Amino acid sequence: MGAAPFGGVYVSNGLSFATAWDGSMISVWRNNDELRGERAAAWVVRLEADGLGDAEATTFDAWLSASPENAAAFDAAMAVSHGYAANCGQIARALSQRAVARPVMDRRYFVGGTGIAAAAMVALAVAPEVFSPVATTTYATAKGEQRSVTLADGSRVDLNAGTSLSVTLTRSKRSVSLDHGQAVFDVTHDADRPFTVAAGDRMVRVVGTQFDVRRRNGKVSVTVARGSVEVRPHEGGVGRAYRLRPGQRFDHSEGGSLAQVVAAEPAEVLAWRTGRLVYRQQSLAEVVADLNQQWEIPIRIEDPTLGATPVSGVLILDNQDAVIRRLALLAPIRAVRSDAGLILRRDPASAR
Amino acid sequence: MNLAPGSNPVVMPTDPLLEIYLERRTNLVRFFAARTGSLSRAEDLAQELYIKLASRDLAAVTIENPVALIYRVATNVMLDQVRGDARSVARDAAWRTLVHVSVGGEDVAIEPAADDAAASRQRLRQLVEAVAELPPQMQRAFRLHKLDGHSHAETARIMGLSVKSVEKHISAALKSLTLRLYK
Repeated sequence: MGAAPFGGVYVSNGLSFATAWDGSMISVWRNNDELRGERAAAWVVRLEADGLGDAEATTFDAWLSASPENAAAFDAAMAVSHGYAANCGQIARALSQRAVARPVMDRRYFVGGTGIAAAAMVALAVAPEVFSPVATTTYATAKGEQRSVTLADGSRVDLNAGTSLSVTLTRSKRSVSLDHGQAVFDVTHDADRPFTVAAGDRMVRVVGTQFDVRRRNGKVSVTVARGSVEVRPHEGGVGRAYRLRPGQRFDHSEGGSLAQVVAAEPAEVLAWRTGRLVYRQQSLAEVVADLNQQWEIPIRIEDPTLGATPVSGVLILDNQDAVIRRLALLAPIRAVRSDAGLILRRDPASAR
Repeated sequence: MNLAPGSNPVVMPTDPLLEIYLERRTNLVRFFAARTGSLSRAEDLAQELYIKLASRDLAAVTIENPVALIYRVATNVMLDQVRGDARSVARDAAWRTLVHVSVGGEDVAIEPAADDAAASRQRLRQLVEAVAELPPQMQRAFRLHKLDGHSHAETARIMGLSVKSVEKHISAALKSLTLRLYK
C-alpha cells in the first residue's frame, strides 16, 4: 500500500459515494420492486378474468417488454396464481379446517397475573397463535403410495393410497378429519383425550382401539379390529349413533340418514396394509375404485350393470396388468386398452 | 403461407408482422399462459398464432397498430381452441427448439411435475399458511374467487362490494402472496 494516503482518501471518497449511491438505489429499487409486484399481480388478475382491448394489449405488451424484471415479476405472480388454481380444493379445505380448529387452542392457562399484567397477558394470549397456529398436520398419499405415521400421542395411522387426512392434537382432544381415502387407526388409550375421526357426515369416537375408516365416492365405512368405537352423525346431522364391536363394519352413504352394520373380518379389511385386497361379495365398481387408487392408468367399467357384479376373492397388488388378469378370473370381464385407460367390458365368453 | 416455421434457422421472416410477433413471442406465451392456466397449451397457442399470422391474407394489410392486431388474433386463436375448432397443428420440433424460450424458468411449471410427495405437501402447507395470513377482506376475496371458483362479479355480490374493489383485493392478495412465496 505505497500510495496509502492518496489511495485512502480516494477509497474513502469512493466508499462514501458508493454508500450514498447504493443506499438511495436500494430504496429506489425497493419502491420499484413493490410497484412492479403490484403491476404484475394486477395484469395476471386482469388477464385471468378477461381478454384485453387494443389499448390495454399495447400497454401490457410494452410493460412486459420494458424490463426483464417486469417479465420475471409477471411470471412469479402467474406461477403463484396457477399454484393456487391447481390445488384450490385442497387449499380451501385446509383453510376451512384451520378456521374451525383455531378456537380449540385454549391459551387461558397463560393468564395468571392481575391488572396490567393481565392486560399484557391478553396480548400474549392472542400473539402465540400468530406464529404457532393450531397444530394441524395434513398427511396425504399419492396413487400407489402407502404411508405409516406415528402421531405425537403414540397412536399410529396407516394411510392407504390416494388418501388425505389431517390431524389436530390438543390438550383436550385428538381429532382427525378424513378428507378422502382409507386409513387404519391404532389408537393409544387416553381417557382424557378422546380420539375422533370425522369422515364426511359421520364422526367416529374412540378411547383406545384399532379400526379402519374408509371414505371414498360418498361412502363411509368403519371396521373395528380391537376395542370399540362409536359412529354418529355430526352435531345436528340426521341418523342414529352406532356402537361397533370387533368384527363389525358400519356402512353408510353420505347425505343419507341410514346406515347398516354387518359382520366383517377385520383381518381382511385391514389387509390392504400388506398389499392385498380381500373382497366378499363386493361390487366390481367398488373393487375398481380401490384399484384406481393404486395406478396412474385409470380403469373404467363400460356399463353400470357390469359394475354391480359381485366379486369375492383376494387380489395381490403387484402390477396393474397382472391384477386385471387375476380380476378376470373373479368376474366376467375382459380388459381393453384405450387412450383413456383400461376399459373393462363384459366378456361374452363367460356369460353367466 | 410459404415459410415452414423453423425450417431454416438462419432465415428470418421478411414479413414485418411476423418480425413483430417474434420480438414478443415470450410476451404472447405469457398472455396465453395467464389466460389458459397452462404453459404447454400456451406454447401450442403461440405456435398456432404464428401460423395464423403467417397465412393471413396479405392483401388486407396496412395495419395501424400491429401489436394490438397480434393480440386480437391471439385472442381469436384462443377462442377457436376453446371451441375445439382448431385442432392442434403438426408440431415442428425444429421450430420448438429454435424459438422455445422458457417463461421465467422452473417456477412456471404449471402442470404438476412428478415431484416428491413430501415436497409437494410442504409446498401446499406454505400456500395455505400464506393465505391464512392475508388481511381478512383480501383473504375473503381471494378465497371466494381463486379457491371457490366464483367470478369477480359473483365475489362482489357475495361480499357486497363493487367489482372494482374485489379486483383490487384479489390483485393485492396475489401481490402479497407472490412476495411472500418468492422471498
